[in-house]
Amino acid sequence: MSTQTIVVEREVRVSASPETIFPFLIDPEKIVRWKGTDAMLDPRPGGIYRVNVAGKNMARGEFVEVTPNSKVVSTWGWEGDEEVPPGSSTVEMSLTPDGDETIVRLRHTDLPTKESAAKHTMGWDHYMSRLAVAAPGGDAGEDPMMNMDM
Amino acid sequence: MVEAALKAIADPRRQDILVIVHENELSAGDIASRFDITRPAISQHLRVLVDTGLVSMRRDGTRRLYKARPEGLEEIRAFLDQFWGRSLDLLKKAAEQEQQGESDEHTDHSG
Repeated sequence: MSTQTIVVEREVRVSASPETIFPFLIDPEKIVRWKGTDAMLDPRPGGIYRVNVAGKNMARGEFVEVTPNSKVVSTWGWEGDEEVPPGSSTVEMSLTPDGDETIVRLRHTDLPTKESAAKHTMGWDHYMSRLAVAAPGGDAGEDPMMNMDM
Repeated sequence: MVEAALKAIADPRRQDILVIVHENELSAGDIASRFDITRPAISQHLRVLVDTGLVSMRRDGTRRLYKARPEGLEEIRAFLDQFWGRSLDLLKKAAEQEQQGESDEHTDHSG
């Protein structure tokens, strides 16, 4: 099954060191200088990532990876009239020093992801094949996927 | 509109629906049969997807058929591209100011 995915990739060259730029990715007071109006951040894997974007939409997610001066990966969802859990969208930012400058790369993947498509196809094919075995009176056996987190 | 579409696409269940109506036009019943949630819940998700332009709906007799609308995704992608472009420009400006400030401080101390 082919799938559709939204991927946004951008990069910008900044005349500053990774050490100067990194706090802008994880420090609530600094992040609002380029993104959102207020923020609550706990920069460690599993820590909360909550940024008020555009004054009315609250992006809420979790930090997935925090590598000092190098890389930050976080997920987000939305709070509001309709709650959308974090994890549906992933933003990865990496810092690569280049002489006196730093290349800041951003990769935002929003969905549907290949994983969700694969998960779906896999589950479907699995059950179709079980059906094929079970239908003529055969025993499909214990479902090996019963304990899998699908 | 794009904000609503962003929220629409952020829901895992709606992502799954988008995946299955990507290539095939399906009725609400077909779609519901692939999920373990109630039919009204599926209808609600489909309404959100149609309202935000991510899925198109066509009537065929009494049936309503749903199919993904690629232009809807493209609109979101364009919006995000612009959003991140602006954000990164601001980040660049803020970080360069900071770096400049640190250099000035350093100059002051050594000077």
